[in-house]
Amino acid sequence: MPFEIIPSGTHIDFLGRRRIAFVVSAVLLLAGIAAIPVQGFRLGIDFAGGTEVQLRFAPGADVDEGKVRSVVGACGVNDASVVRYGEAEISEFLIRFREGAVGDDADDETRCPLSDAQRAEFAATDAATGADESAPGTAAIVDRLVAGLRNVMGDLEILRVEYVGPRVGDELRRDGVLALLIACAMIVAYIAFRFSSRFAPGAIAALVHDIGITAGIFVLFGLEFDLRVLAALLAILGYSLNDTIIIYDRIRENMELHTKHDLVDVLNRSVNQTLSRTLLTSITTLGAVLSLLVVGGEVIRPFAVAMAIGIVVGTYSSTFIAAPTLLFLETRFGEGAGRSGPRHPKESGTKGRGSGKAGGKAARARA
Amino acid sequence: MSQLRLRAGTALAVVLFFGFLTVANFIPEETRIGNPLLPDQGLRLGLDLQGGIHWVLGVKLDVAEEQELSFLRKHLEEVDAEDADWGIESSRVDGPRLEVVAGSPIAAQEVREWAERLGSVETLSDEGTTLVFELTDVARANVRQRGMDQVLEVLRRRIGDPVRGIPDSVVTRQGSDRVLVQIPGGQIDRSRARQLLKVTGFLEFKIVRDADQTVELLEARYEEQGGIGDDRVIATERERETDRVLSAYLLDREAAITGDYLTDARVNFDRQQRPVVEFQFNTQGGQIFGELSAANVGERLAIVLDERVYSAPVIRSRIGSRGQIEGRFSAQEAADLAVVLRSGSLPIPVEIEEERTVGPALGADSISAGLRASILGLVIIVAFVLGYYRLSGGYASLALLANLLLLGGVMSLFGATLTLPGIAGVVLTVGMAVDANVIIFERIREELRAQKTPRGAIATGFNKAFWTIMDANITTLITALVLFEYGTGPIKGFAVTLSIGVVTSVFSALVLTRLMFAIHPGSRPVESLSI
Repeated sequence: MPFEIIPSGTHIDFLGRRRIAFVVSAVLLLAGIAAIPVQGFRLGIDFAGGTEVQLRFAPGADVDEGKVRSVVGACGVNDASVVRYGEAEISEFLIRFREGAVGDDADDETRCPLSDAQRAEFAATDAATGADESAPGTAAIVDRLVAGLRNVMGDLEILRVEYVGPRVGDELRRDGVLALLIACAMIVAYIAFRFSSRFAPGAIAALVHDIGITAGIFVLFGLEFDLRVLAALLAILGYSLNDTIIIYDRIRENMELHTKHDLVDVLNRSVNQTLSRTLLTSITTLGAVLSLLVVGGEVIRPFAVAMAIGIVVGTYSSTFIAAPTLLFLETRFGEGAGRSGPRHPKESGTKGRGSGKAGGKAARARA
Repeated sequence: MSQLRLRAGTALAVVLFFGFLTVANFIPEETRIGNPLLPDQGLRLGLDLQGGIHWVLGVKLDVAEEQELSFLRKHLEEVDAEDADWGIESSRVDGPRLEVVAGSPIAAQEVREWAERLGSVETLSDEGTTLVFELTDVARANVRQRGMDQVLEVLRRRIGDPVRGIPDSVVTRQGSDRVLVQIPGGQIDRSRARQLLKVTGFLEFKIVRDADQTVELLEARYEEQGGIGDDRVIATERERETDRVLSAYLLDREAAITGDYLTDARVNFDRQQRPVVEFQFNTQGGQIFGELSAANVGERLAIVLDERVYSAPVIRSRIGSRGQIEGRFSAQEAADLAVVLRSGSLPIPVEIEEERTVGPALGADSISAGLRASILGLVIIVAFVLGYYRLSGGYASLALLANLLLLGGVMSLFGATLTLPGIAGVVLTVGMAVDANVIIFERIREELRAQKTPRGAIATGFNKAFWTIMDANITTLITALVLFEYGTGPIKGFAVTLSIGVVTSVFSALVLTRLMFAIHPGSRPVESLSI
């Protein structure tokens, strides 16, 4: 017999532990919500607007965070965060500031370590690009502080400049929320189309659970939401349903096979039977995501972090939440509702409820 | 058996075709274009991977509306001075409004009728002698549309033009008032690229009426006459390095001729090897320029760009349609100036609203990091499925490889753009593609435990896993498509690879892996299955 991650015949009483599971989930969800007033939603520049400049100085340059900060401050940015990046011997810095951080007092201009020619050139460009002279735009400030840093600390390379203006930030935020809502709505519609009304609420609960807890963990740990995290949340939305579908399909199949069994027994049996594939599919995907997390580099890290959390939470929810939710709904509202499983598209309402051999065949059992 | 051969042959051909398209990306483009057997177009790298400037520019169309009202105001004043006798006391443009104070209520009514007959404005308020006009909705829409077209045209000439612009750069309209500019690679320094967004580049030629060393000295001369007068301006010529004023000129406010008549401008070098910008007027411009120079022989002609004097040579004889600007500039500045002159002035200012600029070094770092993550992910997954499912795991690995070839091939076929989040999408696809195989294999194992024959177990495994796999992948496809619709920039690349990857992985799991089982063990009666 081949190696099995979950030995066949394993019987863990998942349903018996549903109260613990609900408490754990509720605590996680509430902790995330409770952390919002404390930690706040930390929005990255994609959504909040602002500027990020990533620079690499020549090897051996005499440079530290304080020096960079003082030049940046002198060039008109009042409240910039300066962080050293990467390995110690490489002088890489990330400078970040918000839209309102660009000072507008005239002295800033003269403190910035620029030559007269540079000063004149920047002023000319400002004027010619229609920028307000009293408050040069961020684009102009970035040029100034890069030139200033270069003058003081020697040659440097611009690795990255990202700027999101207030209007674009607002739009990206609105579009981001809209994308999440639309994706949720479309998936709910798909679930409603594919599953009977009995199964749909459980699948939706698991979905909300996964997104809620993943986002909550981001809030708890003060991690930033940006476009990459949004992409991960959407991917989780699509992916976390996979395990739930596997289990629900099996529940439906078992309901037809074991009509006389107790519902708790059927649910437990189904979760146990599919446990190995629930874990295995998550392990393979997690393997891929972890390799992104470890060697995929700084830029992709937020995506990988969110994705990894989402996969773990999704696996947990499909084993501990999806089936118990079904039981909860069933015992509350489902008495005498009959035992129709997830619908097959070909299976019309008239045919689907059929019992006995003919119905069993029409509703093809699934993995 | 022959039917199986046909199916296997077709599948192999499909995989080989897309595999060929994928692999062709690694051949340099020059070689590909020269070779008729190789595809010219392939996968494109996003700016976050090859480095480059990504700008979303907001076009200040409010300024265009103001310009339109100013134009109307000027027209009104002219009509008042020449034909009508409205006795306009004052008129001014304030944001989106034009306010006119006429000499009398009757005159005001005449002005109102005249203005409304033009069709582009409507009267917002009418109180005695004071009228306030606003552009009509139709006129406003027209002005904004025209403004966008003009800005796009100029930016295309400066940046997007295949010959005169920056190679491979893109200038496209985005929404109602935005322009997307993409300049790939480290071709141009960021601060230099910003010069290309200069509004003006407005060239004027004016006869010098007076000159002195500084503005103050020049102004002092006219103090007794009560200033230089409304129709004159003072402009300065400055030293390039220090911005120090070299001389101040008294010029007419109205230009004798402007850069609108230019047909060409290019860099050349004078006898001392200093860079100069040569320009050429069209026929009409040449005529005006000729008359101007003939009438002012012995006078100095100031060449003014953006209200700054570049040089003020003495006119020695009539000049035709050609001339040159001898500024005190570097070769680079001369080249930039030539570009700006050639492309005409940007009629409306633009503002950088979003920027995603990546240096070539970071792009290269991202490529290698993405490649490392892909290879590591692939190795982890292949090792895992081989260890866990043995020969069947080998099938899954082959299907996975084929999946990558299909994904790369489809993207190359459509000339899709690969970004760093796109690579993340590929890695995620690799992880998810194997899921389908896991679902099938686990079901087969289960059927084997239920004492089914290997052949029966395979058939049941595939059949029962079919809808589960479809459901799982359709939900992922839904979210990928939503992200494609709402995502911007590199993130869109994630949606692209994820959605194509979902389709190819369903194909490779349900078709290719199944085909491998059909070939071995196929219809042979086997005792056990390596799964």
